[in-house]
Amino acid sequence: MSSIHKPDVAIIGAGPGGYVAAIRLAQLGQKVLLVEQNKTMGGVCLNRGCIPSKALIYAGSLYEKMKHAGDMGILLSNEPTIDLPKMMDWKDGIVNKLTGGVAQLLKANGVQTLTGRAEFNGPHKLSVKTPNGNIEQVEAKSYLIATGSSPIDIPGFKRDGKVIIDSTDALSLQDVPKKLALIGGGVIGLELGILYAKLGTEVTVVEMMDQLLPGTDKDVVQVLTRSLKKRKIKVFTESKAQPVQVKGKTATLTIERPKGTEVIKDLDKVLVAVGRKPNSQSMGLEKAGVKVDDRGFIQVDHQLRTSVRHIFAIGDVTSAPLLAHKASKEGLVAAEVIAGNTHEVLDVRAMPSAVFTDPEIATVGLTEEQAKAEGYTLRIGTFPFAASGRAMSMNKTEGLVKMIVDGNTDQILGVHMIGPEVSELIAEVTLAIEMGATAEDIALTVHAHPTLPESIMEAAESVHGKAVHIYQKEKPPLVGAK
Amino acid sequence: MALEFKLPDIGEGITEGEIVKWLVNTGDTVKEDQPLVEIMTDKVTAEIPSPTAGVVQECRGKEGDVVDVGAVIVVIETTTAGVVSEVATKEPTVAAPQSASKPQARCTSPGTSSVLSGSGAKMLAAPATRKLARELGINLTTVAGTGPRGRITPDDVRGFSSSRPTLASGPLSTPSTVQGQESEKRVPFIGMRRRIGEHLVKSKHTAPHFAYVEEVDMTELVSLRQQLKGDAEAQGVKLTYLPFIAKAVISGLKAFPGLNSSLDDAKGELVYKNHYHLGIAAATDEGLIVPVVKFADQKNLYALASEIQDLSLRARNGQLKPHDVTGGTFTLTSIGSIGGLFSVPIINHPEVGIMGINKIEKRAVVRNNTIVIRNMMYLSICCDHRVVDGSEAALFVKHVVEYLQQPARLLI
Ligand SMILES: Cc1cc2nc3c(=O)[nH]c(=O)nc-3n(C[C@H](O)[C@H](O)[C@H](O)COP(=O)(O)OP(=O)(O)OC[C@H]3O[C@@H](n4cnc5c(N)ncnc54)[C@H](O)[C@@H]3O)c2cc1C
Repeated sequence: MSSIHKPDVAIIGAGPGGYVAAIRLAQLGQKVLLVEQNKTMGGVCLNRGCIPSKALIYAGSLYEKMKHAGDMGILLSNEPTIDLPKMMDWKDGIVNKLTGGVAQLLKANGVQTLTGRAEFNGPHKLSVKTPNGNIEQVEAKSYLIATGSSPIDIPGFKRDGKVIIDSTDALSLQDVPKKLALIGGGVIGLELGILYAKLGTEVTVVEMMDQLLPGTDKDVVQVLTRSLKKRKIKVFTESKAQPVQVKGKTATLTIERPKGTEVIKDLDKVLVAVGRKPNSQSMGLEKAGVKVDDRGFIQVDHQLRTSVRHIFAIGDVTSAPLLAHKASKEGLVAAEVIAGNTHEVLDVRAMPSAVFTDPEIATVGLTEEQAKAEGYTLRIGTFPFAASGRAMSMNKTEGLVKMIVDGNTDQILGVHMIGPEVSELIAEVTLAIEMGATAEDIALTVHAHPTLPESIMEAAESVHGKAVHIYQKEKPPLVGAK
Repeated sequence: MALEFKLPDIGEGITEGEIVKWLVNTGDTVKEDQPLVEIMTDKVTAEIPSPTAGVVQECRGKEGDVVDVGAVIVVIETTTAGVVSEVATKEPTVAAPQSASKPQARCTSPGTSSVLSGSGAKMLAAPATRKLARELGINLTTVAGTGPRGRITPDDVRGFSSSRPTLASGPLSTPSTVQGQESEKRVPFIGMRRRIGEHLVKSKHTAPHFAYVEEVDMTELVSLRQQLKGDAEAQGVKLTYLPFIAKAVISGLKAFPGLNSSLDDAKGELVYKNHYHLGIAAATDEGLIVPVVKFADQKNLYALASEIQDLSLRARNGQLKPHDVTGGTFTLTSIGSIGGLFSVPIINHPEVGIMGINKIEKRAVVRNNTIVIRNMMYLSICCDHRVVDGSEAALFVKHVVEYLQQPARLLI
C-alpha cells in the first residue's frame, strides 16, 4: 500500500462534469485530485459521445452534399466513395487532440490526476484500484462524484460488439453496414442511424412510444419523421422488438406492431440505444451514506450536495437531461460551493439541448404541453425555414422555429426548432430566456441579412401577427388556461 | 424507512421561510405532532410539527438559513413500517417567537446560508443580477425592480443591500471589554427582527411616503363609549376606541377607494379592492405583528371589538395562524397608550396607506371664542405618493374626523 492522498477535493470521473469542476476548483485555490478509470481524460463526451459522433456526422453530411453537388453545377469526375477506416482515423485524431488538450489544461492548473477505479470505503475514505492492481488511499475534505452514465442493456439484446452493438461500437465500425436496425428512437440512436443512412446503410428504427424523441415538441417531431421517410429510413413507432436472433454474421428481428408483426432479415448490425443508466453501482455509495433514487440517480440539492454534506455529485449520474453542458454547469456551481462560496446555487432557467439529426433539432425552455400544464395562457409564433432566404441559399429549407410565449407578459417561455444549424441558433434564445426577454425584444432587435437567425426574429414577430415573410391574417389565438 | 420531510406550504403566497430555531437534534426520538423547528415566514413564526413518529436523522440548514417551500428540511427514520412518501402536513401554529434568551447550538452544521434567489420563481432579473443577489445574501423577491416590466437591475440590488442593516455573519466578533464589563453585546440579526426589517426597507424603498396630521375632537366619542361600555361588558366585549375608529376609517375607505388599493408593480396596474381587510398593528415581545380583521366593513361595533381583542391576544400568545396575518388592505397602528404627540408610521407594503392613532388627552381649545377643555387626539396618516396625493389623503382624513366628531353616525 502506498501513501495516502490528502487533497482538499477528490473528484471521481473526468468527463465534462468532472474535468471542468477540477479546473475551476484549482482556479479557486483548492488542491484537487482527479480520479479517472480510463487512460484518457474527457469522459463519454470526448471519447465516445458528443465529439466523435459529431465528427462522423459532419463527414457524413459532407459526403451527402458531395453526392448532390451536381445540382449546383459542381461536377465530380468520380462518384465520391467512403473509406470508413480512414474516416475513423480522422475522427480519432480529433478525439486524441481534445483529450490530450484537456490533460494539459489539468496539468497546467495543478490538478493531480490518478488513473484507476474509485470506491468509497466510508464517508471520508476512498480507495482507488490502479491498472496494475495497486490500491491507493484517498482522504479528502470534500468529494465530487462525476461518474456519468452508460448504455442500458436489455434482455434479448446482449451486446456482442459484432452484430449487436451499442453507441460506442457504432462510433468505430470499420465497414459501412448494409442493413441496420436501431432499437430505440431516442437522441443517440437517431443521430447515429441517420449518419449510417447517409453513408448508404438501409436503416429501420423501432420505438416503443407513439413518437420518436419522446417528450419533444410534436410539430418538430413531425418534420423529422417526414424527413426520415424521404431518406428511406423505416420508422416503426408503438412497436416492440422481439429478442434478436443472431446466426453467424447476421441477425433477424421480429417486430410486434399495433397491427401485426414485421420480420427483418439479413441485418448485419443491430444498434441498441434504449437509454442510459447512472454509474452509481459498485462504488461503495452505501458505505458513504450517499442516497440514490429508485433508478440509481444520486439525489442532490440546489447546491449539488448529496445526502452526505461533504460529498457532491454532478452530471449524468445525478439526473436527466443527460447532456455535457448540464454536467459542466453543475460542475462549476459545485466547485464554487466546495471552495466556500456557499451562496452559489444551480440557478438555471434555460437548459438548451441540441440534437444532431438531419435536420438538426434544438430546444430550450418549456414545451407547449408543459407551459399549458403550468397554467400559462400562451401565444405561439412559428416561422418555416422554407420562407428564409438564407435557408434557400443553403439548399436546406426543411423545418421551422416555434416560439412559446406567455400571453399575458409576452415573456418567452420556450423555443423549439428543427432545421439548418439550429444547434447554433439556440444560443440566442437561451440568452433571451435567461434575461427574461419578451418576443417583442427579439422582434425589435435587428438581425443581419441574410442569416438563419432572422427566422427567430420572424417567429417572434409572428407571435404578434406581424411576420413579414409569411402571410399572416391575424394574431395567433391565446391558448391554454384562462 | 426514512422520510424526507419538506417545508410545507404554510400560507397563501408564502414561498420560503427562515429557520429560526431547531427544536430537535439529530438522533432525537420524536413523536407525531411534536414541533421540529420554528420557521419564520412573512412576519410570523410557525412551529412545524412532525408528520410522524421516528428518529431524526438529519436537520438540513442552520438557524438563519432561508429555505424554499418544498425543500427537504428534516429526514426522519420512521418507527412505523410501511411506505410513506407523501405526507399530509399538519397546520402549523404561528408563534411570536420567544425572546432569544439562550442561543442553542442545535443542528448547526457548518455550511450554507444559501439564499435561493427564486430559482424556479419568475423574478425578472438577468443571471448576473441573480448572482449578485446571492452574493449579497438578498432574497430577490423582496427587491423592487425599477426596470421595464419591473425588471430588477444590479443597481436595485445594490441599493437594497446598502439600505439594509448588515447581518452578523460568521463567528461573532469577540466584544472588547471596558473595565471588566462587556462594552457591547452582539446578537445575530435573524428571525422575526430581520423579517420585519426587510419588510420595512422594501416599503420605504418602493413607496415614496408622505405624512399628514390632523387633530380630532374626541369628546363626543369619549362619552358615547362611556355609555356603551357597560352594555358591551355585559356581552363580554371590551370596548376600546379602536373599533369606533375602524368604522370611521372604513367609511372613509369606501368614499376614497384610492386609499384601499395597491400597486401591482410587475403589471403596472392599480388594484382597487372591493373588500376591506383592516390590519391592526400589535406589539409583541419580539416585535411588531399585524393581524388582519377580514371583511371589517361587514361587522358591527361589538363584533369588531371582540375580533380585535381576540387577534391581539393571540398575537401576544403566539397563536396566530398564517391566514390571520395576510391579505390586509389598510392598516391602523396605535401607540397612544405609551404617549407621544403623533407617529409617522411606515406603510405596510403593498398597501398604500397606514393611519397612526394617538393618545387622547384633555386640552384647552377655542370654541365660540371661549377656551374650553375638550378630549383631543392627533390622527396621522402616511401614504404611498405614487398612488395617493396629499389632497386625497387630507379629504380622507377629514371624512374620518367628521365621523369621529359626530360618532352617532358610526352606529347607523
Ligand atoms: C453517442 C453519444 C453522443 C452524445 N452527444 C451529445 C451531444 O451532442 N451533446 C451533449 O450535450 N451530450 C451528448 N452526449 C451525452 C454526454 O456525453 C454526457 O451527458 C456527458 O458525457 C456527461 O458527462 P459526465 O461528466 O456526467 O459523465 P461522463 O462523460 O460519462 O464521464 C464520467 C467519467 O467517470 C469515469 N468513471 C465512472 N466511474 C468511475 C469510478 N468508479 N472510478 C473512476 N472513474 C470512473 C468514467 O470512466 C468516465 O470517464 C452524448 C452521449 C453519447 C453516448
